[in-house]
Amino acid sequence: MTVKTLAVFRKEVIDTLRDGRSIFAIFVFPFLLYPAMLLFISWMHMKEAEEAKALEVRVGVVGGATLPFLADSLAAISGVTPVPLDAPPASMENAGVNAVLVVPAGILESIARGDSARVQLLYKEADNKSSAAAGRVEPILDQVREALTVSWAQSHGAHTDAPPRLVVEMKDISLKSETGRYVAALLIPFLLMIMVAAGAMQTAIDATAGEKERSTLETLLATSASRTEILLGKCAAVLAAAITGAVTGVTGLWFTFAVVAKAFPTMSSPFELTIGPDKLIWLFLTLVPTAVFLTAVLVAIGCFARSMREGQTYATYVYMVATFLGLGSLGQQTPPLSRFFIPLLNTALLQREILTNSVQMLHAVAAVGVTTAAAAFMLTIAVRLFSNESVLFRT
Amino acid sequence: MIEVQKLLKTFHDRKRGEVAAVQDVSFVCQPGKVFGLLGRNGAGKTTTLRMLATILVPTSGTAKVAGHDIIQEPAAVRRAIGYLSGETKLYDRLTGRELLEYFGALASMGSSAIAARIEELRGPFGLSDFLDKRVGKMSTGMKQRLSISRVVFHDPQVLIFDEPTAGLDVIGARAVLSLIQDLKKKGRTVIYSTHIMTEAERICDEIAIIERGRILAQGTVGSLLQRANQNSLEDVFVEVVGSVDSDR
Repeated sequence: MTVKTLAVFRKEVIDTLRDGRSIFAIFVFPFLLYPAMLLFISWMHMKEAEEAKALEVRVGVVGGATLPFLADSLAAISGVTPVPLDAPPASMENAGVNAVLVVPAGILESIARGDSARVQLLYKEADNKSSAAAGRVEPILDQVREALTVSWAQSHGAHTDAPPRLVVEMKDISLKSETGRYVAALLIPFLLMIMVAAGAMQTAIDATAGEKERSTLETLLATSASRTEILLGKCAAVLAAAITGAVTGVTGLWFTFAVVAKAFPTMSSPFELTIGPDKLIWLFLTLVPTAVFLTAVLVAIGCFARSMREGQTYATYVYMVATFLGLGSLGQQTPPLSRFFIPLLNTALLQREILTNSVQMLHAVAAVGVTTAAAAFMLTIAVRLFSNESVLFRT
Repeated sequence: MIEVQKLLKTFHDRKRGEVAAVQDVSFVCQPGKVFGLLGRNGAGKTTTLRMLATILVPTSGTAKVAGHDIIQEPAAVRRAIGYLSGETKLYDRLTGRELLEYFGALASMGSSAIAARIEELRGPFGLSDFLDKRVGKMSTGMKQRLSISRVVFHDPQVLIFDEPTAGLDVIGARAVLSLIQDLKKKGRTVIYSTHIMTEAERICDEIAIIERGRILAQGTVGSLLQRANQNSLEDVFVEVVGSVDSDR
């Protein structure tokens, strides 16, 4: 490093350190934002666990008479109602159960003869409630395994050197399409959030702080267009960029799964990602208020920022917050209504419901209503900031 | 016509509190005349012109531009003016044509009127060479011709020039001054700020010397010279501004 390089480095450091807002953005904000994010994620995780615990599930038991302790053990698990069944149902939904434990008839005789035997816990990973039921019942499988082993040992006396192969397993019986829907519900709302925020970020800061920095704003403000007209025009451009980002992203996902994966059979996927046009339309419609909200937030930041650098720093934090709230779609349980009052998170959750055919009208109204109100509020803030004289002179 | 009445503009400064950038400024600028605001950097010229262009709102006082009050009818004022500042720049990513179309649309011109106006200005401003070139790829001279085209594009009655020759070479500055003289001949009202005495002497019909936000002297070039008993505007300026400096 030469003396001149060091001199440049020193000047840039001084320049940065004398910018109070940069100091706040770089050194203070992370100590506020990251702990807040960690607390939020921990809170989400804790709530998920609590909700999973509180879930009431029904577990079908086929062949329960063979292992009499099963009914008592299942009934002892909080929130689990054992339902005796004669045979594995064709449809768990129609049978009114969330998971089915299948103990084949004559299993004790089979293992006494040294034959292999299979006890299965049938559930659907793609179904939150079914998955929770399986998780709740899983510890019982050890008891089953132990009981069968004892039964086999008793039928052969204490001395044996070749125990039969006992398979006590959990089996995911979700259809490929169901798994695809589940994966889509986990990923697509989150990805859409990232794509909208990323699409809006650059354009918003460039059209506001960038215009000021490039010394073109004064000329624009001297035209007969009102500040509101100018700002709304800029917002429309940012919104177009945000929506384009989301549409391009979804198209890319569709291309990957519908075209590329099919063109290369060796890349066979464990799920089928099929989203009908009706769902795409609903995804788009629910995304628009969120895109307007993010647009307004980023444009307001651009109007407030003294430079592009400052604007981009703040915008990066907005992007991170949007990403973390978008992670809300990765949850497992049906969220409470209160979560639909948090902008961004509510859209991710609503889109998850759309993709899993589990939309609750109250959730939809709360999510769209709150986001629209928040977008209108932020647009008002952006207009006020842009109408303020300091939009031109704050440097 | 521009009629300015007791304009006051204060800004809040954390250390100094309320600071007056412009105070008690009044003058009249007639159509077909060029009114010059002469002052040092930071004297209050730009703040005055920004208030006339409705970019800033006066703290008190008002002005009428082309018959419209700057506080009551800012949109009508902006429709009537063309504003050019030496500090402002053009959009590098647009072509010359796109830029003129943009500002034409902002001036509420229809697409056919915009196309016709571009054709009208093409010859006099020599736009043909670069009309479809991106601004970022243009030479300084091209940008300057495009800037001037933009200012007169919607044929405003009043033109506000804030140090328009700043950063220009001799040829570029001369082109701007020539444009101003043409506008004056066409009966437009022109207000022009500068700190270059020779420019002011050359094109202004009336001059106001402004210092620390106040107009210290006002009149035609001849009357100012006579009053101060000096031979050049520069000497008048130094004497007027110097008297304030010595009062501090």
